[in-house]
Amino acid sequence: MAFLTPLALLVGLLSIPIILLYMLRLRRREIVVSSNLLWRQLLQDREANTPWQRLRRNLLLLLQLLILALLTLALARPYITVPAVSAGRIAVILDASASMNATDVPDGTRLDDAKRRAIDIIDTMGADDRMTIIRAAAQPQVMAGYTGDRAALRAAVESVLPSSESADWNAALTLAAAGALGESAADAVSMIIISDGGLGRAADLPPIPGALRYIPVGQAGDNLAIAALATRAQPNQPPQLFAQIVNYSDQDADTIFSLRIDGALATAERYTIPARGSLPIVSAALPAGFTVIEAALTRPSNSPFVDHLPTDDRAYALAPQTDARRALVMTDGNLFLEQVLRIIPGIQPFRGDPALGLPGTGYDLYIFDGWQPPVLPTDGDLLIINPTVSTPLFEVGGLIDMSGTIRVQRGDPRMTFVDFSAVNLLRYKAVRAPWAEALIEADGGALLLAGEVAGQQIALLSFDLRDSDLPLQIAFPVLMASLIEWYAPPSLIQAAETAFRPGAALALRLPPNADALRVTLPDGTRRELTPGSALVFAETGQLGLYRLEALRAGAVVESALFAVNLFDPNESAIAPRLELTLGGTVIPQAGAVEEIGQRELWSALALLGLIVLLIEWAVYHRRSRLRLAPVR
Amino acid sequence: MTHALFDDSTRRKLEQLMLHASRVRAGAIKGERRSVKRGTSVEFADYRNYAPGDDLRRLDWNIYARLERPLTKLYEDEEDLAVHLLLDASASMNFPDGGEGGSAEHHKFAFAQRLLAGLAYVSLTTDDRLMVTAFTVPNERDSDGALHFGPARGRGYGAALLKFIGGLEARGAVDLNAALKHYALRTVRRGLVVVISDLFAPSGFADGLNALVGKGHEVALLHVLAPEEVEPPLLGDLRLIDSETGSAQEVSVDDGLRDLYRRRVEQWRDSLRMECRRRGAHYIPVTTDQAWEGVILFDLRKLGVIK
Repeated sequence: MAFLTPLALLVGLLSIPIILLYMLRLRRREIVVSSNLLWRQLLQDREANTPWQRLRRNLLLLLQLLILALLTLALARPYITVPAVSAGRIAVILDASASMNATDVPDGTRLDDAKRRAIDIIDTMGADDRMTIIRAAAQPQVMAGYTGDRAALRAAVESVLPSSESADWNAALTLAAAGALGESAADAVSMIIISDGGLGRAADLPPIPGALRYIPVGQAGDNLAIAALATRAQPNQPPQLFAQIVNYSDQDADTIFSLRIDGALATAERYTIPARGSLPIVSAALPAGFTVIEAALTRPSNSPFVDHLPTDDRAYALAPQTDARRALVMTDGNLFLEQVLRIIPGIQPFRGDPALGLPGTGYDLYIFDGWQPPVLPTDGDLLIINPTVSTPLFEVGGLIDMSGTIRVQRGDPRMTFVDFSAVNLLRYKAVRAPWAEALIEADGGALLLAGEVAGQQIALLSFDLRDSDLPLQIAFPVLMASLIEWYAPPSLIQAAETAFRPGAALALRLPPNADALRVTLPDGTRRELTPGSALVFAETGQLGLYRLEALRAGAVVESALFAVNLFDPNESAIAPRLELTLGGTVIPQAGAVEEIGQRELWSALALLGLIVLLIEWAVYHRRSRLRLAPVR
Repeated sequence: MTHALFDDSTRRKLEQLMLHASRVRAGAIKGERRSVKRGTSVEFADYRNYAPGDDLRRLDWNIYARLERPLTKLYEDEEDLAVHLLLDASASMNFPDGGEGGSAEHHKFAFAQRLLAGLAYVSLTTDDRLMVTAFTVPNERDSDGALHFGPARGRGYGAALLKFIGGLEARGAVDLNAALKHYALRTVRRGLVVVISDLFAPSGFADGLNALVGKGHEVALLHVLAPEEVEPPLLGDLRLIDSETGSAQEVSVDDGLRDLYRRRVEQWRDSLRMECRRRGAHYIPVTTDQAWEGVILFDLRKLGVIK
């Protein structure tokens, strides 16, 4: 045993004043008794018979000296040398990927085990050793920079939280190497990776200035996972579900695969998945009009198979996105209009013959080009080009010859990119609609009116397209696209799919009528995104369903769902690996004795000192209670 | 003064008592006790052969007529008893004084005064030759450090006796050994010696006791202790000041030490009893929380000192 700060032993000199104080301290109470003859004889006998009684009277002094000795020793920081994994400059990289949630180790998860090992390494740090703690997840994180402060390092290790993501090892190793370079290039860095070996795709090993060591955690590889879950829309048929269950263990596994549709249990079936095999499940019996499907794997009560990673036993899928909006175009034949509708995404045009009248209802959008049914349909939005007769909604007047300039409402978001400066117009109709806003105006009246009546979005183009060169201008598809987007705004998420991997960053869209976005995470916490911040949501570390809501003054105007599922064979294959292959490098398991570490003993000494202090307090308290006892 | 020391009912009880010394046989004058000697009382005791010179009035003529042998009638003799009451009036008797040492109702000297007065009263009522002596510091009144009352005989001395006892006070350091030896040397008549003391004497009292017994006295030792001395109410780190010598003894009293002290007091009393028994003296341990008249009426009676 040696001391790190032997000078602290000088604190032991405090024992001299303690003894002096003790000698001066004891003031005895004087009491006159008839005779102290008996007391004198008694004490003579007692001291003669039991010499230690004199010591016992000074028990408090002895205890105080013992406390001082213990504290002095603790301050001197004694240590014993122990075998350690590494020494010098150490970077400990803790794997916090999804597979580290596996519970195949005693007492918690693999991550807990990894933390314990990291703390073991901290405990055997030498006095001059420096260490950094890096958490490897989708985004690597430096939990503690290079320091010799064991308490800070321990706290950093304790603060490492598990994730459901795949770890980005390249980034983590680069971060560790960069931190080492920043410290001192001369010192070689030992990097200790505490992981179960599921490194995933760490193809290119960054240049690492030092040795790599690997401490494997984990014992078993038994895991069943839902590797895929998706829905698919089929024309004129209910949507179809596809799921895949994979068995990553070396033994056959029984499981109950259950499906919940919008929270209600729909099916639950027992399957046997062969060892190292997978089972695809295709279900066509999905009800129409559902929103969410939740799939889960449950261990049958009589199955001996233990699934060590529960994270990948649950997955979510959303209903397939609905088809493009159906638009009915009633026109005598307008090539420009049909052409432009065909190229605008998100809309599926159907042509009707005005001579035969309205072919039916059920369309999302009705486009009337120079024709109007007797009664305007109310189940879809309306775009009326060159209206013919007045209706209760609008008044149609006579033709007006175009003169002067055309003004576009620049302030309106629908008109942002619409440029009418080059458009020539022959004549237009005087159309009045009090509920509508004039988006494009000529001197005599409105050219484009748009507004909403009883939930129906209606736009009126008050001229015949053939009376202008608009269809030949670039402004025409821009205008039509703006209008179509106004009729049917796109999803809040700017992505084609509704299911993502953990850690994915989502670009979000703020609808024109909203002023904020709110995301409700699977655990119920909420995040608010305002237009001022970048509308990118990357906090997708949790698995499950996320609800996205667009808010206007606190009220929800639009909402959408998306799911985050693990679906990562690298994380689901939890069998621990004894060797780590990183790029082309094979990293062996770290041996037990590689370096000499120091295990400090001060905490035990300080604890002992505290205990003695408590005993001293009890003794003192007992004595003072005796002294204060009432005279009987 | 009588009322201060004892009340009427106690006095009546005391009047029926008589001090008795079984081994002292040397009455000086006619007293109320039956003597082992044949004497001149009216009570017939025995016959013996006539010897020339006997008083012819004592000759039993009836026997002479019947047996033709001259026999002289012997009568019981009655004699007095010399009673020596010795009181230790040292400062240690002045305890407890109501301070931290204990409550004043257990005051040893007051108790001893009552006991002394009771015994003296019994002695006076039985026409004994009474000597009361209080050992105190040598002072202006008495060169040998003792206050004396008597010799006195008869109830007539009662008031003076009680005044003497009431006027005593306990103070100073007394060498009990020396005082007893000195008293033994001084006494002429053998008798009953009652010593009332707490026996807290550094030099002991064995030599004094030996001197008294050697002189032919019958000694009764009334060992008076306050209950606070038997079961001390002391705890903690203390400095005990001896009331007689003024010497200090530092002591840290805890429960264990108090137990030891209690045992020590028991041992002390047992050793005193053994010493007294060896010398043929009576030993009566008394604590001041008992009734003082009970000591006279029961404890001394049991030992035959009082009949």
